[in-house]
Amino acid sequence: MSTPQGSNVKDRAKTALKDEFLVDAVKFTTERLKNSKKAATAENGNWEEWRERGRQIRLHTIAHLDYYLSRFVENARAQGVHVHFAPEAKDAARIALEIAEHQGAKSVVKSKSMVSEEVHINEAFESIGIESIESDLGEYIIQLANEPPSHIIIPAIHKNRHQIAELLSKEAGETLEPETKILAGFARRKLRDKFLEADIGLTGCNFGIAETGSVVIFENEGNARMVSTVPKTQITLMGMERLIPTWDDLEVMATLLPRSATGQKLTMYMSGITGPKRAQDGDGPEEMHIIIVDNGRSLQLGDPEFQELLNCIRCGACLNACPVYRHIGGHSYPGTYSGPIGAVLTPALNKNAGEWQDIANASSLCGACYEACPVKIPLHDMLVYLRNRKVERGYTAAGEKMAMKGFKMLMKSHKRFRKAVKAGQIGQKLLVRDGYIRSQIGPLGGWTAYRYIPELPKQSFREQWPDLVTEVEKSVQPMAADVKLRMEQIVKARGKGGQHA
Amino acid sequence: MSISNPEFLAKLKQESLEAEKRFIGNIAGRLGRSATGPAPEHPFRGAPDFWTSYELDREQQISRFMSNWQAAGGFAERASGMSEVSERICRILGELNAGSTIRQNLTELAQLGLEERLPELRHDAWNGLQTGAALRTAEKADAGIVLADYAVAYTGSIVVTSSMDKGRSVSLLPNILIAVIPAERMFTRLGEVMGRIAAIPGEQFPAGVHFISGPSRSSDIENDLTIGVHGPGVAYALIVG
Repeated sequence: MSTPQGSNVKDRAKTALKDEFLVDAVKFTTERLKNSKKAATAENGNWEEWRERGRQIRLHTIAHLDYYLSRFVENARAQGVHVHFAPEAKDAARIALEIAEHQGAKSVVKSKSMVSEEVHINEAFESIGIESIESDLGEYIIQLANEPPSHIIIPAIHKNRHQIAELLSKEAGETLEPETKILAGFARRKLRDKFLEADIGLTGCNFGIAETGSVVIFENEGNARMVSTVPKTQITLMGMERLIPTWDDLEVMATLLPRSATGQKLTMYMSGITGPKRAQDGDGPEEMHIIIVDNGRSLQLGDPEFQELLNCIRCGACLNACPVYRHIGGHSYPGTYSGPIGAVLTPALNKNAGEWQDIANASSLCGACYEACPVKIPLHDMLVYLRNRKVERGYTAAGEKMAMKGFKMLMKSHKRFRKAVKAGQIGQKLLVRDGYIRSQIGPLGGWTAYRYIPELPKQSFREQWPDLVTEVEKSVQPMAADVKLRMEQIVKARGKGGQHA
Repeated sequence: MSISNPEFLAKLKQESLEAEKRFIGNIAGRLGRSATGPAPEHPFRGAPDFWTSYELDREQQISRFMSNWQAAGGFAERASGMSEVSERICRILGELNAGSTIRQNLTELAQLGLEERLPELRHDAWNGLQTGAALRTAEKADAGIVLADYAVAYTGSIVVTSSMDKGRSVSLLPNILIAVIPAERMFTRLGEVMGRIAAIPGEQFPAGVHFISGPSRSSDIENDLTIGVHGPGVAYALIVG
């Protein structure tokens, strides 16, 4: 079972760790993606320069987001796009439903879009009786399983072929062999019909190009092209920060995104959609809507600690690099986004610190996410800022608060501290075996459930100090006279200037 | 009803204009501006400087393109002229037992003379004026034949743009894609093509610009590579010249 269970990361991680296939599959897949990225960036040869340029472009765009968004909207409208603004997720759903209801739509085909997961668009359509079908193979599989994606790039990473065969067989009304070719072949036929029947195609958006009002979509399967070619109406959900100024800048994003996500030089398809079909085109949507979604993104603007979060291009490289994600998988994270980016983004998009959960604590702050990030977002620093804010706003567990108070009291007086160490040295006698404390009694369990505590030494450092000083003094040899003289001369000469090589 | 009526769209437009002021005003406010600023300086535009001077000669471009296209699971061949292209297409269609083709409605592709060479197959040219019917024809065709607008050696991509004569479906719906690439349309870097696309005036700007780098693929089932998930499973690139 791999649907999210439990209200905190520990409980959900425990569930995930019991699923042997999930643990192996997540490790295998993240390893594969990570190695592909490594090979692709090595082949590129100048990765750091591209990375820095990507960062500069994203920083610049976000710093002038009001300008670039206005340009984008103006140019998209000039090409006949109906642009809408959704301050919150529910507004995006409302607008999409209004269009679908007005048109009397019966079915919607969707290509991959993380924003649509934020908006819960499938549930929204289904609530008014409109069928909404995911067409990306992985998304289709998890939609049938009624589960959220567990990886940004490979959403069904946690499902094995037997589980997939079972899901698709139910859909087919016949038993399908658990072979990739057969399963993918069924999905192709089934979804081809759905594309041809659908009234509305719904897409996400990797980048919006301000200078022409174009929507750019990266994909490998061709389903996003189907969604934006066959149905008469296209609705695109776009996070408001997805912009880049020009097509020239797209070259940089196209160099960074696929390499970071899967190690490809470019995804099989990269499509720039600019407005609905022209009057004489024989295919493409007759009507095109773009819904621009805020949903907490603007909270990061003007915030020096978090504004860079909006630079994210959703490649998933930080997930593959993260030692925590690689162990527990995506369903251990609350919300739509998982991995390091999810650990920061999910709370950041939510104003209410009381609902932030404990995900920011599930990190070793190793910085592998930053190293992997193609636009250099310092996610590990942001995790620290989040922890900070949670404490500042008073959302700390009662036990932790009490422990900190006790610690403060102890550390304020060296007499108290000394007494406590003495008490510890005596008290531990009951618990120490072979130099370690393994007991999980009371609060000790928080630590010893995962590793042992070494015993307190017989003498504390403070008690050892008088002996240590004597020892050090004895072991230090006086400096040789000639060396001493030379060094004194160097120090004297310093500051006179002019003589340094 | 499958598209919206004008009154409804006018109502949405009105709502959008009102929402826009608040939405973008909020962004400007958070960035410390009272109103949307003028065009900012744009110092870091496009690729880093070292890259914009990177060049390959024609032969290097072609060999780089072919190896990238093949590495992505496609087939790449070279032909000396259009008559050789025609021969090769006939061979490919025969090998794959194709029963029908659809092509962009372009003189260069009509001159391949497929109707005369393979009269037993059904051949259609894209007819943009027949909305719906054109798409259904493409959906039934076994092979789609396109003339690439551009190609990019460094990523192994072809670029096709949409127009009345060049349906998006031609390179998407049939299971076989055959792309004819005149060598002089080949560039080294993506940026060279981006610049040309951006220079197209607004009123002539194509609704669809598609970079295609091989056959449709997915690794969503246990990381197992599947070719031809939604788009073409067989992708041929024929370079002319």
